[in-house]
Amino acid sequence: MSARAIRLDELTKTFAPGGDPAVDRLTLDIPGGSIVALIGPSGCGKTTTLRMINRLIEPTSGRIEIGGVDVTHQPVTELRRDIGYVIQQVGLFPHRTVSANIATVPKTLGWSAAQIRDRIAELAALVGLDTDMLDRYPDELSGGQQQRVGVARALASDPPVLLMDEPFGAVDPIVRARLQDELLTLQERLHKTIVLVTHDIDEALKLADRIALLNVGGTLEQYATPDELLSAPANAFVETFVGEDRGVKRLQLSLVSQLAFDQGPVVPLETTPERARAVMAQYRSDWLGVLDDGVFVGWVPGEGVRDSVSLSDLPRYPPAGRVTPSSTLRNAMEVIMNSNTSVAVIDDDGAFGGVVTLEAIRGALGLSGVDPRTGASV
Amino acid sequence: MSRVTTQAAVPRDTTLWEWISDPETWTGQGGIWESLVETVVLCAVVVAIAIAVAVPLAAWLAHYRKGELGVTWMVTLSRAVPTFAIAGLLVPVSLINGWGFEPWPIFIALLLLAIPPIYLNTYTAVRGVAPGAVDAARAMGFSERRVLFEVELALATTLIFAGIRVSAVQVVATEPIRAFLGGDGMGRYVRDGLGQNNDTLLVGGAILIATLAALTGLAFGLIERSVLPYGVRRLKTSQAS
Amino acid sequence: MISSSRNPIVRWDYVVDQSDSILAALWQHLELTLLSVLVGLAVSAPLAALALRHRWTTSAITGFTGFLYTLPSVALFALLVPAFGLSRVSTIIPLASYTLLILVTNIIAGFRSVPESVIDAANGMGLTPARRVLSVQLPLAMPSIITGIRIATVSTVGLLTVAAIIGQGGLGRLILDGLRRTFWTPMTVGAVLSILLALALDGLILWLGRAATPWTRKASP
Repeated sequence: MSARAIRLDELTKTFAPGGDPAVDRLTLDIPGGSIVALIGPSGCGKTTTLRMINRLIEPTSGRIEIGGVDVTHQPVTELRRDIGYVIQQVGLFPHRTVSANIATVPKTLGWSAAQIRDRIAELAALVGLDTDMLDRYPDELSGGQQQRVGVARALASDPPVLLMDEPFGAVDPIVRARLQDELLTLQERLHKTIVLVTHDIDEALKLADRIALLNVGGTLEQYATPDELLSAPANAFVETFVGEDRGVKRLQLSLVSQLAFDQGPVVPLETTPERARAVMAQYRSDWLGVLDDGVFVGWVPGEGVRDSVSLSDLPRYPPAGRVTPSSTLRNAMEVIMNSNTSVAVIDDDGAFGGVVTLEAIRGALGLSGVDPRTGASV
Repeated sequence: MSRVTTQAAVPRDTTLWEWISDPETWTGQGGIWESLVETVVLCAVVVAIAIAVAVPLAAWLAHYRKGELGVTWMVTLSRAVPTFAIAGLLVPVSLINGWGFEPWPIFIALLLLAIPPIYLNTYTAVRGVAPGAVDAARAMGFSERRVLFEVELALATTLIFAGIRVSAVQVVATEPIRAFLGGDGMGRYVRDGLGQNNDTLLVGGAILIATLAALTGLAFGLIERSVLPYGVRRLKTSQAS
Repeated sequence: MISSSRNPIVRWDYVVDQSDSILAALWQHLELTLLSVLVGLAVSAPLAALALRHRWTTSAITGFTGFLYTLPSVALFALLVPAFGLSRVSTIIPLASYTLLILVTNIIAGFRSVPESVIDAANGMGLTPARRVLSVQLPLAMPSIITGIRIATVSTVGLLTVAAIIGQGGLGRLILDGLRRTFWTPMTVGAVLSILLALALDGLILWLGRAATPWTRKASP
């Protein structure tokens, strides 16, 4: 099923007639195939907005369009069968087995038993559920497993849209991180249009392609990509909400592979001491990294490099950490903080790829695409 | 051989009002006052003994956190025991032993009916007393006995009194079967009404029985209210939801 | 006369001899019990639905059914006889009334125990309200409802014995019969059988309930 865009047009919800609106004329364009996070303090109407999309709450005024079709007045049961819905407490039916739970919507839609069986197997593999879980009852599963079943159930009829309301809030942080990673992997394969409500800014930054930050009373403060939100907050409210450490948060958004890095003070073992000293001087480094056949094997303190001694005979210190191209800048920063050498070494499957310096990181944050050493655009 | 004293047959065209307003109905042999006394005495004794047996036992077990199984057993007992059948079963036993139709069969049957509500409520109440209060009392050096009496029972009074009320109403409401098992009491008019095919006796008897049960409930309700310390009553109303 | 070799607590030859009429009494007892509970259910269901739909009616409904429960059985039978005679109707009406309190209470409790999140998820998946009530809420309310039916059935068996006074008590009739003839065997038989019937029905419904709700048997991790 191809990705469907969602459009919210002047969507408003007032609970008490004449009272303040919970959601105030919200207009939002959610691109098909993307993950959009709705975030904000309590009372900002994020959950209300989400629940208006599948009309569990009926809008007071405004329109909802899915895939270009106005669904504001479509019969609700029909609409909801085409939208996946995942909530924090999961809401699995305790009286049905896991597979019966997953099969709920396909069964309502009239799929054949064989189709359902195949689909369940497919989904189990997709969400990482053991097949022997299928005949168990929800009460027998752990929190993380239940949440996986919830996702499988929501995806069962392959709906183009997925609504998630604090889906990972009820599990512990370790399980939560894993589930978040799995959601990203899933999305790479499935390209659903996902609207995610969360109160956790880090979760939003990690998962979303775009973030809609709402304020109390349902007003939209900023709708932007994670990086934009952090680097260019629209106002004081946004600034406070994303937190004072937004610089550090941005580090988590970029990967090492996006940096421009070079060889650094690293030479093969066979290099002459003279040449080695020259390299160290070039990089103004007290330490020398050494390679053995293309593999990084350690750091050598600068004063140990003497004409009479070959590099391979010198004592070596292992690096404080290893960083790969898919590590975040934050990981790289951690390693730099912890090492004497003040540079981190990049290894791509074992082979040396270059060094990351503090300057390179700062450059990536401040101005994108500028080589900090030469000042030229990259 | 039956001890049953039947009222002189009441003419079948007597209206209910005529019957009730006739002084003979009240004071004559087998009259309402007499029946009332018979019923109230039996019920009072049954409830008194039930309280004397159930409250101390339940309180003691609950305090020492024992007897959970007894509670389950008591629940089953209170549901599965058909009072009429038990009393019926005991009649031959009583007669064979030369004890006559009354009072043992109906007395024992009613006692079995009266105990569970009192026992269950007392047990739950004492068990459920805020552990904080109990701990504080112990910490202040109260002996176990004092903890039981001055803390647990005092706080548990509401539920215990409710249990007593439920029990008393049940006993009074069931006591009329006595009239069908060789005895008298307030149930006699229904019995006689059925025997004489007399609707006046039937309806009159029914109203008397129902009124007595309702009054019992009200009376115990009033006792509950007047006896409870003010603080506990406030606690009860704030817990009620 | 009170007791002799011809009139012990139980005379087994009498039991064997009269087994037909004893079984007939047992059957009548069972039949009336089940009818009373069914009528009770039929009346309780709409009352419970009302309380569930409009929460404010709950205390009135509970109060009413509670009041019915306190009415003495002898009195109720006596009041209905002038109107309906010595018939099954006079028996079933009071007995069904007594079941209302526990049935209504347990039906309401059962439905109220269904977690909000399950109902939300069911709505979110596009289940129609009817399907949601029937295939999600009702099964989950079943344990509580079945417990209510159990309690109602067992207490009805006991209360039904009293209906013997208006000629309808099945096993109770054996008791009264024996009393009238000062012949103990039917009394004993009637009493023992009514207790056994109560216990048997309790166990049966418990077993059926467990079979119908397989998910309650699994322990949570």
